[in-house]
Amino acid sequence: MGESQASSTADVSQDRLYRDAAEQYGSALERLARAYEANADKRRDLLQEIHFQLWRSFERFDARCSVRTWVYRVGHNVAASHVIRERRVFSSLVSLEELQLLPDKDQDRFAGDNCINLERLSALIRQLKPLDRQVIVSYLEEMDASAIGDITGLSPAGVAMRVHRIKQVLARRFHEGGRHAE
Amino acid sequence: MPNDSGSIDPKAIWQSQPREVSTAMLEKMVRRKAQELRRKTRRELLGSFAAPVAVAAFSAIGVSLDYNPLQRVAFALAMAWSLAGVYVLNRGTWPAKIAGDAALATGLEFCRREIQQQRDLSRRFLRWSFGPIVLAIGALIVPAIPSALRGGGALPKMTPFFTLLALWMIGLFAIRRSRRRELDREIDELNDIEKEHSR
Repeated sequence: MGESQASSTADVSQDRLYRDAAEQYGSALERLARAYEANADKRRDLLQEIHFQLWRSFERFDARCSVRTWVYRVGHNVAASHVIRERRVFSSLVSLEELQLLPDKDQDRFAGDNCINLERLSALIRQLKPLDRQVIVSYLEEMDASAIGDITGLSPAGVAMRVHRIKQVLARRFHEGGRHAE
Repeated sequence: MPNDSGSIDPKAIWQSQPREVSTAMLEKMVRRKAQELRRKTRRELLGSFAAPVAVAAFSAIGVSLDYNPLQRVAFALAMAWSLAGVYVLNRGTWPAKIAGDAALATGLEFCRREIQQQRDLSRRFLRWSFGPIVLAIGALIVPAIPSALRGGGALPKMTPFFTLLALWMIGLFAIRRSRRRELDREIDELNDIEKEHSR
């Protein structure tokens, strides 16, 4: 096989891998972008950047991890880079422990309206530092501790501890809010 | 999305988000972005050249004018320093670098590396961008200080300008330093997490 033919085969494989991943995880990546950027225009740019980097990354895909882990790693890492480079935003982020202690500013905004609840949830996630944000988004996407560990690099115990805190925060902010509104 | 007990299921809320961009549209965007990358890189490269080139040009004028030899050496050093800074400051900061790392590194590794890169960039900025500016300005004003103290020369008239410049430099230095400390704290925090909870 000539060099140009090999390169062309690799391009086709890269395109195919990207297309399949975009088809399967497109909506999850869109949700992920919402966890990192509130502004709609910037979010669209971020999503575009994630997809672009994902397409480029498949040039090096070697099946050492699953496509899902690969896609989420690229998505989270590109988005984390976006947050870290935004100096003002990055300085104001908190850890899960700190978030547990913060009062809920949107407590009175509870409504049966899904959009408001989504806004509250997204705003809550966007207060977190990148690593904790990766855990909470993965938890909301119904991933198990092992998958979250593959993406974040945390041990099962580390993931379990964070998920426990996330459940407490979400219960306090949403379940109690729900009962309060009844 | 309230359930039977009246409480809300955050997972259901999260997963029921409507899509804003179709996959077909994203594919078009990715193709366009690939074409734009080269233009963007060129633009960023030109942008990052502006300040060091201005300092180098200022210093080159200083070298060519009839100053004393020590001043001319200082200007020549400032020129070489600022031009070397172009390379050092831009090393490893292009957006093109992200793709491979983003998939191979876990979130923990990637975040730490990204924060370290920001911290190093801040450190390099002081050394390679701020340094030549200070040297070039110093080469211009230090030799004029003795005559200014005797009440002559143009330096006393420029005192307000140099005072503002000094304040700006002190402010910039303080902001960069506090930013670096903040990044150091973040790195320490990630190191602690890695020690306790990494796989």
